[in-house]
Amino acid sequence: MSSLPSAPAKVPIWRDVRVLRWLFQIAVLAVVGIIIYWIWGNYQTNIERSSVQTDLRFLDNPASFTIPGNDFDQSSPVRAAFVQGFLNTIQVALVGIFFATILGTIIGIARLSKNLVVKTIAAAYVEVIRNLPLLLLLTFMNLAVVLQTFPRIEDAWKPLDLFVISNRGLAIPWFEGSAGQLSLLVLAGIVLAVIVVRLERARADKVGRPSRALLLGTLALAIVPVVGWITLGYTWTLPFVDGRGTSGGLRLDPSFFALIVALVVYTSSHIAEIVRGSILAVPRGQGEAADALALSNSQKMRIIILPQAFRVAMPALGNQYLNLIKNSSLGATISYFELTQIAQITVGNGSPAVPAFTLTLLVYLAISLFTSLFVNYFNRRLALVER
Amino acid sequence: MKKATLFVSALAVGALVLSGCAADDSSESTATTTTNNNSSSTTETAVETVSMLEAVQAAGTVRCGTRDALPGFAVLDESGEHVGFDSDFCRVIAAAVLGDASAVDMVDLETADRFTALQNGSIDVLVRNTTWTATRDGSEAATFLQPTFYDGQGMMVASDSGYSSINQMNGAVVCVAKGTTTEGNAALESSRLGLGWEVRAFDEVDLILEAFLAGQCDGWSSDVSQLTGLRSAYPDGAAALTILPEVFSKEPLGPAVLDGDTHWAQVVNWAILATIQAEEFGITSANVDSIRSSTTDVGILRFLGADVPTSDGSAVLDPGLGLPTDFAYQVVKQVGNYGEIFARHLSPLGLERGVNSLWTDGGLMYAPPYR
Repeated sequence: MSSLPSAPAKVPIWRDVRVLRWLFQIAVLAVVGIIIYWIWGNYQTNIERSSVQTDLRFLDNPASFTIPGNDFDQSSPVRAAFVQGFLNTIQVALVGIFFATILGTIIGIARLSKNLVVKTIAAAYVEVIRNLPLLLLLTFMNLAVVLQTFPRIEDAWKPLDLFVISNRGLAIPWFEGSAGQLSLLVLAGIVLAVIVVRLERARADKVGRPSRALLLGTLALAIVPVVGWITLGYTWTLPFVDGRGTSGGLRLDPSFFALIVALVVYTSSHIAEIVRGSILAVPRGQGEAADALALSNSQKMRIIILPQAFRVAMPALGNQYLNLIKNSSLGATISYFELTQIAQITVGNGSPAVPAFTLTLLVYLAISLFTSLFVNYFNRRLALVER
Repeated sequence: MKKATLFVSALAVGALVLSGCAADDSSESTATTTTNNNSSSTTETAVETVSMLEAVQAAGTVRCGTRDALPGFAVLDESGEHVGFDSDFCRVIAAAVLGDASAVDMVDLETADRFTALQNGSIDVLVRNTTWTATRDGSEAATFLQPTFYDGQGMMVASDSGYSSINQMNGAVVCVAKGTTTEGNAALESSRLGLGWEVRAFDEVDLILEAFLAGQCDGWSSDVSQLTGLRSAYPDGAAALTILPEVFSKEPLGPAVLDGDTHWAQVVNWAILATIQAEEFGITSANVDSIRSSTTDVGILRFLGADVPTSDGSAVLDPGLGLPTDFAYQVVKQVGNYGEIFARHLSPLGLERGVNSLWTDGGLMYAPPYR
């Protein structure tokens, strides 16, 4: 006689899958915790034995080194050096992202061109650059292009007497006047441009004509600073060779130039592939519809394809931007004074290594997280709203 | 989902920062207290237990912290032997303590590891081109001894640049290597003289060399001994470069031992001093035997540990350092005097004796009397 249990037998606790899962996870956590605790303990013991500083007091010490192209001097605190390094990193990141996006988009579109020559050149560019280590590319840019191709300061190139190009830097004409007022004017230009673009778009929608928002926006962006600059009575300064360097104008550090070129070239090769893939991801029907409406090729790209392609590309582009920001730390090898270089030099000049590098790490982390936040925000704005 | 991830990571960063600060505070206080304990306990052990000297004599070998790639000071030759100025001073210590200059265990160290190796007892003495500074004496648990080489930071320029003094280098671009105080010294000198130098700091000497060759740098600043070595290996020949006369930092390079063992420190110190004293006496590795057997100079006889005639027979001076009485003889015989060691390794690089001459020649090399 078979006796079926009226209720399913209670599974013993040591064989209950749910309990086992929990136990396993707790065990993993415990192991990780113990390892971290052990490393931290070792660190503490060794630090105590060698009486090395572990706090952030060193930030108030005088830096005792200088930063080229800057009025930062060696009596300023280490804190100020880190701030300057942060600003230089941001500068490289913004300029690099701007140019890498433009160049990458152009090459990405070129890869899909029907013109065989254009297509092949673009493909070769992507395949060669994408497969090189960035550090090598950067060293090459610095040694072969900046150091060897650009002339010595004695024989600097002076095209139109507006620029001074030598292997000590690239000097360009620049506004004379306070940087604060200049940035205010630029900001005003941006605000005006945004307003103009919105109005023009609304007008174009209403009249049913192609909008000229891009053209008018650019004009607005340019006009405000120029008019403001003339009314405020500013002049501009031209760079000229002065002894062993240049005076006047704005001087771009040679290492800044090499770093930007290397980062833009490298990142653009990756962005090109993303752009190409995203354009291909836009349904064929969209392009065909544009053709049916008799839009020109440029209009088709600008109005129909690219906006939809960037919706697809945004998350991947964000990754490339993060990479570019982190890769800018390679500038330290060619003496560009960004965050990593500052950390290395300040440690060489007496700051304690572990806190200084921990601080640097956290700053990079903060920059990256902020960038992700920004990219995610845009991604949500661009994403198709599905109902 | 994304929002949640981001929020969690932001929280994690916040927690990291906070815990970092908190841990910093607590570790700071523990660090200071334990340092005090540490130094007092090491002093106690030094008083109670045996000195490093007995340990070294028992082991039969001196573990000497050194390096393997600084021409003139310590490099490996084809047979894997350490050759150089610093390496020879390791041998001087072994000859003095053990009577055998070859009883050395050369331990190659990275710049960043050198004090750690001394602190954790993996070397007995550090002879590695290391500058004696107050902070290193105070915070690295090291005791610096008689400097073997007085170095200083200088400036190297192209010979055709027209510079003959750093005072002429107004607004110049000065290139240095990262990792030590070179950059700070250059910045300090520039502001002291009001020269407005642009100091560029590179990762490697090779990158400086390229920048210098291409004319991106007007000056190349480093320790004079290193500049001399770099000049001797310059692609366009050593004559294409000039080292300017100004020296704008003090870099006394000397051996260091662990804090708290006075006995061992004195022994190492006197081994170094013996080479200087020997040069002052004019004793070399070639003539030490004949001088020992023929001289009547009491000072020299005492120094070499020979019998000194007294009113009632003869005696050998034992100053009570714990060294064999003939240690100076062994040092000079097996390695040589200070001038010989200098001539063997540093003169070929083109380095002058300069401040490293004997005090009798107006230099800084001076040994206290051996009596």
